[in-house]
Amino acid sequence: MKVEEIDVDNEVGEVSEILSQNEKTKGILIHVLQQIQEDMGYLPDEVLRKLSKKLNIPLSEIYSVASFYKMFHFKPRGKKVVRVCLGTACYVRGSKKVLNMLENEFGIKSGDTTEDLTMTLETVGCVGCCGLAPVATINDNVVGEIIGNKKLEKLIDDIRE
Amino acid sequence: MEEVVKINIDGKEVEVPAGINLIDAAEIAGIHIPNLCYMKGMKGVGACRLCLVEVEGLKAPVIACNTKVRDNMIVKTKTERVQEVRKFVIDLLLSMHPLDCMTCTKSGICNLQKYAYEFELKESSFTRKKFGYPVDAANPFIKRDPDYCILCGRCVRVCKEQGTNVLDFMGRGIESKVVTANDRPLQESECTFCGSCVDACPVNALLEADRWRKGREWEYEKYNSVCMLCGCACEIKVSVREGDIQKINSGAKDGSVEKYLCAYGRFGFDSLRAESRLSTPLKRVNGELKETTWEDAINIVSTKLKEAGKNTCIISSASITNEDAITLKRFATEVLKTQNIGSTISLYSDPKVFKNSGKADINSSDLIIVIGLNLSQWDRVLPAIDAAVRKRVNRGAKLIVINEAETGLSTVASINLRGNEIESIKAIITALKQSGAEIDKQTEEYLSDVREITEEITKSAGMILNAKSPLILVSPELFNAASNLALIKGDIIAVYPESNARGVALMGIETESKSYAEMTDSKYSLLYIAGNVPLQNRPDTDFLIVQNSYMNDIAKNADIVLPVAEYLETSGTIIDYAGRIKHLNRAIDSHGKSKSHREIFREIAKKMGTTLKMPVESEIKKAADVKAKISAMPFEKTKNLHFEPDKFIETLNLTVINNSRLIWLKEAFEVKAEK
Ligand code: SF4
Ligand code: SF4
Ligand code: SF4
Ligand code: FES
Ligand code: FES
Repeated sequence: MKVEEIDVDNEVGEVSEILSQNEKTKGILIHVLQQIQEDMGYLPDEVLRKLSKKLNIPLSEIYSVASFYKMFHFKPRGKKVVRVCLGTACYVRGSKKVLNMLENEFGIKSGDTTEDLTMTLETVGCVGCCGLAPVATINDNVVGEIIGNKKLEKLIDDIRE
Repeated sequence: MEEVVKINIDGKEVEVPAGINLIDAAEIAGIHIPNLCYMKGMKGVGACRLCLVEVEGLKAPVIACNTKVRDNMIVKTKTERVQEVRKFVIDLLLSMHPLDCMTCTKSGICNLQKYAYEFELKESSFTRKKFGYPVDAANPFIKRDPDYCILCGRCVRVCKEQGTNVLDFMGRGIESKVVTANDRPLQESECTFCGSCVDACPVNALLEADRWRKGREWEYEKYNSVCMLCGCACEIKVSVREGDIQKINSGAKDGSVEKYLCAYGRFGFDSLRAESRLSTPLKRVNGELKETTWEDAINIVSTKLKEAGKNTCIISSASITNEDAITLKRFATEVLKTQNIGSTISLYSDPKVFKNSGKADINSSDLIIVIGLNLSQWDRVLPAIDAAVRKRVNRGAKLIVINEAETGLSTVASINLRGNEIESIKAIITALKQSGAEIDKQTEEYLSDVREITEEITKSAGMILNAKSPLILVSPELFNAASNLALIKGDIIAVYPESNARGVALMGIETESKSYAEMTDSKYSLLYIAGNVPLQNRPDTDFLIVQNSYMNDIAKNADIVLPVAEYLETSGTIIDYAGRIKHLNRAIDSHGKSKSHREIFREIAKKMGTTLKMPVESEIKKAADVKAKISAMPFEKTKNLHFEPDKFIETLNLTVINNSRLIWLKEAFEVKAEK
């Protein structure tokens, strides 16, 4: 989606006439943010700045709205999004070690993305496969029972692949 | 008459204005309802829940900050039930708070501390959570320490209401935080460092950056005074400890849209102790300025003045007090017997404008018409007026901007009338006439070839007809033309760059025969410059006296330099743009051996054999009390006013900017502009 080309009335649709300009722009904000993220993989600062001008919504407010939802990202995302489960079952079975190992291996902290965009490292609460604990997901595919060096190396290979 | 309702609060019967909320109503009854997020003048948002009260007839407690009074309401503010909720709220907040009142700078005015004390909470009964958020201390003005933040949102709301929109909530739940867009340091946002958020923050989350161990609230002497750095003439509250200013806050009433200070007014005071501050008189000896005594300086000045006689010219700044201005006027007429006296006012206005400019309170106007003014908080062109207009708009007033080009205010205006301002005014008057408004005969004669009445013009006229109290804010050069509009309806006020232009003009310093430009261009045997004037080069004169607070370009070229006390070191009065007399109270002693303008004039006069009367308050009141008389005027711009307000204000404040932490701001903005 090109910010310059956003047609507010068109985006709003039929109810356009009964809304004030302000209500309209606020109403379409989430939708537009979603589109931008879909196109670019995240919400780049320059684009949000343009959007702020175009919709006449303060930049701080756009960030505020977007940050309310976990699905929006303000930094580029890695090709692989790795989430290490820190739910109780996984935690007890050593998922913290898995996390630390990944942090060391890729030189980033949880929440960050490697410079070459290989991967984004995150943590989650229980993903619902406690039987396989400790668990991590790579782009939503579950990798279970990450115990021992072999499994860890495999995990790293899968991420690098 | 304002409508009133009768209510009963904690057994007290009171009459209060209809439509106000319960917190304000209780205050009238002398009862404080605890609150953390409420801001007078703004809608209550109900975020903190501390203000819960019980209303007879209602099952559940209500939020006082957004409940309006109703006739015969019976309110109880201290029932066991609400006290318990309040205690719970404070308990929760304490569980996320550093609790280091012993070294906290805000101790003494912190509302959290105050309520913890009231509810006898030493510690939170919940597990304490530590956040360890990074502190934003990358600028010399404001320190943001989110660990102290109680998420009341007051800073967010002031910043939004005044139109700067820098702060907002990020994230949600326990993780939420008040930040700039993308959580960048303040200088990478649109922040103007006005510090409104600092005044709004009830805790230690937002603080002046340099406050560490510079004293806490109870250690300060407080002085109400006025900022004289620009035409907004903001009210200030100065905190002093050990003879030095520690901080300056807005002195305007809570709830007023004029509660605002720009970075100059709030943080410029370090310049008072700058090296370029003049502390003793100086005289030119063998081409160089050398320190001398007052006695010697006054001797020289009086001898020179006698020699020059009628061939003397005095130019004054319009940022001096009324008392100084009256004394100067007396000095010129009684001692020097010269007519050659004038001020910087003629650079931007016809002094007559000040006799006709009205009085009004922007807080009560429901329609504001801004004509030919490029107000801006970001460029600091009359920033407090820009902020006040934006706040009024956010509180429901309409705004019409009449300006040749687009201005900052355009984005919040209900109607923007671009193109020649005079033509727009004429068109509106014509449209008003068509809707049946009564037009002055003379105005009608001046109205000629009106351009087409567009839809926007008709709308503007409609707004004016519907408004209860429209206020016209106009640049001096368009004052006459806009007077015709005010003659039909509304108050009209001229807005200009210097803090006491109106007072200086009304006290009688007018350029009767010559303008500032003529005065600085002609040759006089003696030129006496009083105060800060935007001159860089020495005009052609045999002898130059400069009476100023700082060593600036023109002082460097003087034959005699007389050090003057700054406004924070002086008492007196001014008349602001809206016609109000405001009082300055000396907060600190004058720097070094400097003296006020009026002391210096009186001493010279005495040396020359005349004792000048001290100005008294009654004569200032009398001089200030002119009945504004607007009349029909030709639709023309006042000619020969060559000045760009932004450059002018910057030039006037150059010494303050370059000698304080404001220099950082200037540099940071220059870097930003390059990008
Ligand atoms: S200093 Fe002024 S502009 Fe900056 S964040 Fe605070 S209120 Fe907003
Ligand atoms: S920084 Fe201060 S004013 Fe702003 S939300 Fe936090 S506590 Fe409230
Ligand atoms: S707006 Fe003008 S008067 Fe107000 S604080 Fe700033 S410089 Fe001073
Ligand atoms: S705790 Fe990790 S999957 Fe349930
Ligand atoms: S003051 Fe009413 S909810 Fe905060």
